[in-house]
Amino acid sequence: MAFMTLNQIDVSYDKKKQILKGLNLDVEKGELVSLLGPSGCGKTTTLRVVAGFIEPKGGTFTLDGEDMTRCPVHKRNFGLVFQSYALFPHLSVYDNVAFGLRTRKVEKDVIDRKVKEILEVCGLTELASRFPKEMSGGQRQRVALARALVIEPKLLLLDEPLSNLDAKLRVSMRVEIKRLQKKLGITTLFVTHDQEECFSISDKVAIMNQGVIEQYDSPENIYKRPATEFVARFIGFENFLELKPAGNNCYQASDGSTFRVSMSWGNEPFSGTIRPDDIRLAEDGQKENVITGTVGVRTFLGKSYQYEVSTAAGTLKVNMDTEYAFQEGDSIRLYLPEDKLILVRK
Amino acid sequence: MKKSSTWIMLAPGLIILLVCLAMPLLKVLVPTFTIGDYPFSAYVQFFQDEYYLKIFFRTVRIAVITTAVCMLGGIPTAYFISRCSKKWRGLLLAASIFPMMTNSVIRSFAWINILGSNGIVNKLLMALNVVEKPMKLLYTDFAIIIGSVYLFLPLMIVTVTGVMENIDDDMMEAAQSLGANRLLAFMKVIFPMSLPGIIVGGILVFTGTLTAYTTPQLLGGNSNMVLATLIYQRAMSVGDWNGASVVALIMIIVTLVVIKGFNALAAKLDKRGEKG
Amino acid sequence: MKKNKWLTAYAAVIFAFLMIPLLIITVTAFGGGSAITFPIDSFSVKWFANVFSLKSFRRSFLTSLEVAFLATIIALLVGVPAAYALARSHMKGRQLLKSIFLSPTIVPGIVIGFILYQFLILTFRIPVLPSLLAGHFMVTLPYVIRVVGSAMEQFDFSIEEAAWSLGCPKGKAFFQVVLPNVTSGISSAFMLAFINSFNNIPVSMFLTGPGVSTFPATLMNYIEYNYDPTVSAVSVLLMAATVIIMVIVDKTLGIASLAK
Repeated sequence: MAFMTLNQIDVSYDKKKQILKGLNLDVEKGELVSLLGPSGCGKTTTLRVVAGFIEPKGGTFTLDGEDMTRCPVHKRNFGLVFQSYALFPHLSVYDNVAFGLRTRKVEKDVIDRKVKEILEVCGLTELASRFPKEMSGGQRQRVALARALVIEPKLLLLDEPLSNLDAKLRVSMRVEIKRLQKKLGITTLFVTHDQEECFSISDKVAIMNQGVIEQYDSPENIYKRPATEFVARFIGFENFLELKPAGNNCYQASDGSTFRVSMSWGNEPFSGTIRPDDIRLAEDGQKENVITGTVGVRTFLGKSYQYEVSTAAGTLKVNMDTEYAFQEGDSIRLYLPEDKLILVRK
Repeated sequence: MKKSSTWIMLAPGLIILLVCLAMPLLKVLVPTFTIGDYPFSAYVQFFQDEYYLKIFFRTVRIAVITTAVCMLGGIPTAYFISRCSKKWRGLLLAASIFPMMTNSVIRSFAWINILGSNGIVNKLLMALNVVEKPMKLLYTDFAIIIGSVYLFLPLMIVTVTGVMENIDDDMMEAAQSLGANRLLAFMKVIFPMSLPGIIVGGILVFTGTLTAYTTPQLLGGNSNMVLATLIYQRAMSVGDWNGASVVALIMIIVTLVVIKGFNALAAKLDKRGEKG
Repeated sequence: MKKNKWLTAYAAVIFAFLMIPLLIITVTAFGGGSAITFPIDSFSVKWFANVFSLKSFRRSFLTSLEVAFLATIIALLVGVPAAYALARSHMKGRQLLKSIFLSPTIVPGIVIGFILYQFLILTFRIPVLPSLLAGHFMVTLPYVIRVVGSAMEQFDFSIEEAAWSLGCPKGKAFFQVVLPNVTSGISSAFMLAFINSFNNIPVSMFLTGPGVSTFPATLMNYIEYNYDPTVSAVSVLLMAATVIIMVIVDKTLGIASLAK
């Protein structure tokens, strides 16, 4: 059994609205797992079930073989980093970090040693006597992290910890979090709605939608092979093609264009999908995986133009370099490479 | 904004305050410095007179106890209200404001009915054979204290709720995630964060009790005087206007000292940084 | 959030303490006997009739309404411009000026009545009613300065500057742009000042004269010499009025506006 397991978790606030529907999740020791999804998908609720703020209506949460479903928050020994950081405004950085050790009645000199150690690790030694009000967002973020880490938690739970930082800081902080997490080997759950952040930091990603996990896999696999239309849409596949099976791993659009794909598919309803970046102009004489379309609106994206091209399989967004600009009404032939065109569940 | 127009807008208020507050205060209080054999002798005499001293210390004692009881009763209740759902919060806040809007004569009158020798408490105790004769509850310091608590507890609740409402749930949750149970989290996080509001509530209750007239008059009677009732008695019953003026200044000074004291305490306890 | 049962019980006890005495008064108002009893022996509404038959009650009630209303209006007329000036200007003595405007709060009510009695009535022979009004002005002014002041401080004055830039004269901008945006502050200041002036006793204790007495002072006087349910009946009527006011305030300004 995995180190941390959520088994058939049900959460509902009132009778009608169910937030989590039989959610399952396995996390191995030392992994950093992200919960990714749009707001309202239940990712924060999942984190709060693990933290112990929400008692699920059904299902179990086990950690290291121990059933923790009904364990009160303060006995769980999990480190939490809040979106708002939730630093205690009346306590200095040192006292904020020492808080968790003091509640555990740790000996004074041990507290002092541990606090100083973690402040050092987080680069906060100089700021020990400051108050939260006197610090920048990035510094507060690091204090929140230090406060959560100093209690040597069995699990580290991060709830959109970077969303209040500016873009540049967000990138450097996520590297720092990853570094600390690997160094200390703490199993970590990371909630975010930012896919780039999530892919860069995670060992595994769980993509959530309406209270269930749609796909749980490594970032690379999710990026290359989304399992469902929702996941594909969420991670930037903007084109969805109406295709019919034509046998032998081939699929057909309504105008007869045939597409070969490098994956097999069963009987479930599906659509074909491809990123705007992966569509190219077809070369003369190329027949397979090619579709003809008419150029519509053109948008300048900086490094490329994006065209909306209407085809028999639907309107496709296509990114192409800026060396040549097609005009509205031009007819073009598009090539959708076999390994980039993917089938996903509807 | 131009300075002249600022002063034009401030002037009417300042003039009324000058004529109806500052001048009367000076006119009444300054002469008390010079009455008697030597400067301030009236004040020295006040604090040498056993009867006055007793009233002075009774007043302060009642204010201290009332403030303490209001804090003890009000702070947990305010915390309870601040964590309720929006609907309940409004309802409980209304239930706290309602007594505040009700006249203090009525609120004291309620306790006359409860504490009097024919009152509810005595009837109950006699029916249960706990006492044979009615106990003297009314016209005691105890009656003044309970009446004052009744008067000022809503004020404490409302003031502290106002501060606690603004404390994010995250604070409690963060403390719990760090191993503190609810009580410890309250004591270490919520309580210190609410201190500014608690101090304001403390000032309001303390100075309010210290200067209250209605409740001590109705529940304390003539044998349990406090400073406010003493002023009235000195001036109206005895005709000792200077004596009343001396008490008036003492009340103002004690009020000021209490406000300064509480604020100094707040500044000392509230260490969170001001920079940045 | 999960509720702690001890805390719930504690709050329940506190609210019982706050509510039960008022409930007892309400019950005793309907007693049929000549003295106050609880529980009541027989049911009657005669004490309510008695309230309306007492001339001193009627007269002092009108006096109190009049004084509270006038004192509140004057405090608004004087206090709103002052609060605006204090919020708007950046002059050095701002904090000091504000504390001067709030200074009536540090003078105990009984002392305000006492000094005004000596200064206005005894020294300058000013009639009782204007003196009483002056006393109640000291009660109402701090509410206006505090509540309207905080509304003004939250007002974004760049909006007023926008009006100026659009060619609106300063005086007009104050009435057409600033005031409409602090009306809820002014309304709650009015309610608080009016209610507290109406209920105030200590200020009025010295400022009474032939035919001039405030309603609470009359009530207090009545209690000292009578022990019948008339006062209970008055309490019920006043509490009913309070409930009506609170419901109206809740529907318009929100109940929290009375918690300032």
